[in-house]
Amino acid sequence: LTEEQPVNPSTVKKFAVAEGKHAKFRCLVTGKPKPEIIWKKNGVPLDPGRRHLIFEDREGYYTLKVLYCKEQDTGLYVCAASNALGNTLSAVHLSVKSAVRF
Amino acid sequence: EIEGAPGAPLDVRCLDANKDYIIVTWKQPAVDGGNSILGYFVDRCEVGTTHWIQCNDTPVKFARFPVTGLVEGRSYTFRVRAVNKSGMSHPSRVSEPVAAMDPADRARMRGTSAPWTGQIIVTEEEPAEGVVPGRPRELEVTEATKNYVVLSWKPPGEKGLEGVMYYVEKCVAGTDSWQRVNTEIPVRSPRFALFDLAEGKSYSFRVRCCNSAGVGEPSDPTEATTVGDKLDIPSAPGK
Repeated sequence: LTEEQPVNPSTVKKFAVAEGKHAKFRCLVTGKPKPEIIWKKNGVPLDPGRRHLIFEDREGYYTLKVLYCKEQDTGLYVCAASNALGNTLSAVHLSVKSAVRF
Repeated sequence: EIEGAPGAPLDVRCLDANKDYIIVTWKQPAVDGGNSILGYFVDRCEVGTTHWIQCNDTPVKFARFPVTGLVEGRSYTFRVRAVNKSGMSHPSRVSEPVAAMDPADRARMRGTSAPWTGQIIVTEEEPAEGVVPGRPRELEVTEATKNYVVLSWKPPGEKGLEGVMYYVEKCVAGTDSWQRVNTEIPVRSPRFALFDLAEGKSYSFRVRCCNSAGVGEPSDPTEATTVGDKLDIPSAPGK
């Protein structure tokens, strides 16, 4: 459907959260008609579920919330927006730091 | 400033626009410089450039001119100059930009834009700790007989209290020893019937909320209710 633009990993912003905490991804999206938004992790679309909340917040930001982060949640997260006039995306890298302290 | 030349025309607008022409209108200048106006020159400028092109070779008499030779889809602004026998006026103020396109295309294009996504910002959030609910409100004895007493109350005001349940406590009047009545199972509804009260004794009652996070503070206690043959319903607290 939409042609995936390549993401250059070296230019992607990196964020880290502690294991067990929630990670909230916020992305401002504009476009008319209102774009369709897909959140992806490592290229795989994320569906809303028990640990993945997907919503538009009160300020109009498209929001993905990953609850109780595990180390496996580490990866490249993409917010892909598309409408009749085109498509674009933004990406970030999340790493989940182990809660174990030495 | 040329002595005797007219003032600049006013209020330049685009009356009608399509892909073949844009009709430009204006108002005559406030001053004609003492000589009658012979006509007007209309200039166009493609938006994004600074290059003005005169649209008509000879002055037009009426304050209305269809500009042709436009490139379809491009936007233009217009200005007008007035001329009399002394010379040319300063150009008018520039019109709002107008695209050379048919109204249907303009309607279709209006307000549409390709998507744009900003930088994703990630923040760490503390998983919400369970909040212990507050105190139940407006507890009252709604029935009192020698066999049972019925209490009712209202849930605490705070939001987000899904899963709230209640513990009921009783206390023999004059003592300060509160006992939980429903020790095993908290109740879900905001009312409760107590049995097994000792006849002739007076009791006060109070209620606590609980949820998965814990048990909250108790409500205000009821006034003492005496268990007997006669109904003894005290007034509601605070009344």
